[in-house]
Amino acid sequence: MTRLLLLCSIAFCISAQENVTRSDWPHYGGQRSAWRYSALDQINRSNVGRLQAVWAFQTGKVEGGFNATPLVVDGVMYVSSSWNRIFAIQADTGTEIWHYFYPNPREIGIIYSPWTRGVAVGAGRVFTGTLDNYVVALDQKTGRELWRVNVEDMRQCGCNITGAPLIVKDKVIVGVTGGDSAHRGYLTAFDVNTGRRAWRFWTIPGPGEKGHETWAGDSWKYGGGATWMTGSYDPELNLLYWGVGNAAADFYGEARKGTNLYTDSIIALDPDTGKLKWFHQEIPHDVWDFDAAFECVLLDAPVNGVERKLLLNVNKGGYTFVMDRTNGEFVSAWPVADNINWIHGVDAKGNLVGRNEPTVGKTSLMCPSIGGGRQWNHGSYSPRTGRFYTTGIEWCEEVTVSPEDPKEGMNFFGAVFRLKPPLHGPAGGHLDAYDPVTGKRFWSYPSKYPLLASQLSTAGDLVFTGDPEGNFFALDAINGNKLWSFPTGSGHRGSSIAYSVNGRQYIATPSGWGSALAGLLPQLWPETESFPPGSTLFVFALPPEER
Amino acid sequence: MIAWALLMAQSVAGPAAIARGEQIFAQSCSVGYCHGVAGAAGRGPRLRGRSFAKDYLYNVTRDGIPSSAMPAWKDRLTDTDIRAVVEYVASLATSTDPAPPANPMPPGIGPAAMPGFKGPAAAARGRELFSDPVRENCGVCHAVGGRGIAIGPDLTASKPAEMINAIGATRSLSVMTAKLKTGEEFPALVAGRSGDQVQLYDLTGLPPVLRSLLSKDVVSLVPNASWRHMDFVKDYSRSELEEIVVYLRWAAARR
Repeated sequence: MTRLLLLCSIAFCISAQENVTRSDWPHYGGQRSAWRYSALDQINRSNVGRLQAVWAFQTGKVEGGFNATPLVVDGVMYVSSSWNRIFAIQADTGTEIWHYFYPNPREIGIIYSPWTRGVAVGAGRVFTGTLDNYVVALDQKTGRELWRVNVEDMRQCGCNITGAPLIVKDKVIVGVTGGDSAHRGYLTAFDVNTGRRAWRFWTIPGPGEKGHETWAGDSWKYGGGATWMTGSYDPELNLLYWGVGNAAADFYGEARKGTNLYTDSIIALDPDTGKLKWFHQEIPHDVWDFDAAFECVLLDAPVNGVERKLLLNVNKGGYTFVMDRTNGEFVSAWPVADNINWIHGVDAKGNLVGRNEPTVGKTSLMCPSIGGGRQWNHGSYSPRTGRFYTTGIEWCEEVTVSPEDPKEGMNFFGAVFRLKPPLHGPAGGHLDAYDPVTGKRFWSYPSKYPLLASQLSTAGDLVFTGDPEGNFFALDAINGNKLWSFPTGSGHRGSSIAYSVNGRQYIATPSGWGSALAGLLPQLWPETESFPPGSTLFVFALPPEER
Repeated sequence: MIAWALLMAQSVAGPAAIARGEQIFAQSCSVGYCHGVAGAAGRGPRLRGRSFAKDYLYNVTRDGIPSSAMPAWKDRLTDTDIRAVVEYVASLATSTDPAPPANPMPPGIGPAAMPGFKGPAAAARGRELFSDPVRENCGVCHAVGGRGIAIGPDLTASKPAEMINAIGATRSLSVMTAKLKTGEEFPALVAGRSGDQVQLYDLTGLPPVLRSLLSKDVVSLVPNASWRHMDFVKDYSRSELEEIVVYLRWAAARR
């Protein structure tokens, strides 16, 4: 405990204030630094065993599961479920205040559906992206639609919006899916009040722009680079950070020779103009479908004795990249999965060493699988323990690559694959505690199935997450021991949060099995095909007399 | 007649059809996160080891499944090929072999060729320009031939002779100026009214924004004299606009 307090120098604690959540959970990642850490400690290691369910909320549609992060602002919870159903709920009682069901067209017909990962709340509005590629603003008090705008014809781009928007000042910033389609990715900002487009940043530079030369021929027009998750924001540096997904065709790279900027990169943009300030490409010329699209965790920590402003990003290849968030300079890289054969490692400058590319026309064993050494479900950083909690998955695939030509709006993949267990040891998952800079692993919680729900850490020194079998549980953040578990009846794919209303702390979690990855699991674990879908929000608190 | 029927039956059933279906399936249905190698399940449902009525398979393959990720293949595969896929998927019903063929996608073949634009060559260029993804294109506001967002007028209902004039028109009769209680003004296209609300497309910039306003918050809607359609097609040259008109005329004639 003394050591923990010593770590908390005065400067560190001041900067920590802006990154932790308290009564509210205002943004997708908790705060816009994406820590997913709550400073609430009413529920802690000593009493978590007495946690009880206090209310549950049914969204009414189970297809696609429940993949969202709920938000809480001033005692009201805002949450979205599959098919763009949005609810405002009294956060202490579970009573619905309003709901809004977006009128999706009957024909979606693209693979990135029907799930959604959340909304953004700000400027008196609730914002969401839709399955048919619109951005919608609702009145925060009533749920009345205020504006909607089409981002791009989904039939043409084969893309839509499943990630939560991010609000920065007077703009709502929205990414798109489409990394497995013949599509050129981008990030778009809209004015929160009028819905007018403020800027668009193409993740693939066009003719005449720097980086365009990293794409052979016309491949830049269909090169992927989806921005399908949610970025982060540093108000002090006024920089917007966003992870960019894989290049397309995912596995067939012969037609797009070059490093393929800015796919598999972290981009730092001026949020006022959308202009690129710096970038760091983690995986040049990706031929494994290993996005760098997941969360950008903004934390400050000493590197070789010098305190630095860092950005941590775990990519789908199972490698964590840590960089200086002022300029993109590489700091370190470390793996979250044990079975990795697509590279031998990462050198001191951040270059990939020993690339193992699948051979066109042949079948290759690649580890991790397309499902990733980690999935998109987010890790959590606790400033109390100084540890980053995230998952890893042990699985491989046999992938057969073949040439493919782009067809507008259609999948653009270049391979077929089949999941395989690793050569040594069983397929499975784990949740681990790491030093965020060195990747030193402090403890590991093993799981029969990949853990596909996000982590939440709290000042009660707890780490919450759920498993595919439907258990929602709390681990001791110090040693990984399981302290409490609750069966919710359907698997976990969403993100739990902590908040408080009138001095009572709550833990909320979506429960509801479904998503692209859930659909892949039966290849290795046939029994998961009959895991029940669901879409229920569970909320827990201590009994009143415990407070 | 009987011989013809037999021939037809042979073309959409039997080992040859199954083999053809297997090839198409590998190229179009296994890919990505969809039905997986030989129907072993991807993110789409497992097809291997399950039995489905052929009529059902044909209907969902042809028309897709509404409100799902399953697309309609009727515009992408010929009817014969759809029937071949159905034969192949039906043949998977008795597959108990958990390990499908190791290399089901012959190298170098690539995905099934999709039928492209069927119109005349002269219209093909205009069609591409109409929805050119690398610029602010016509499809941002107009829907033609299954592409674009239907905000502005249906161009296939316009008289062909008027199109080129309309593109260059200095003002449009349907564009209004909306003045709000807040003092805000913007060029607007009325999209609809319902109850106490009015839906207006805000045409200040691209893409247009559909704004839902309380009628009491809209002070006035009067004809707009300054909004110019020409300002929104400045990414196109005159000759490109003429090529687009060739496509629109062709689409209008087919209507």
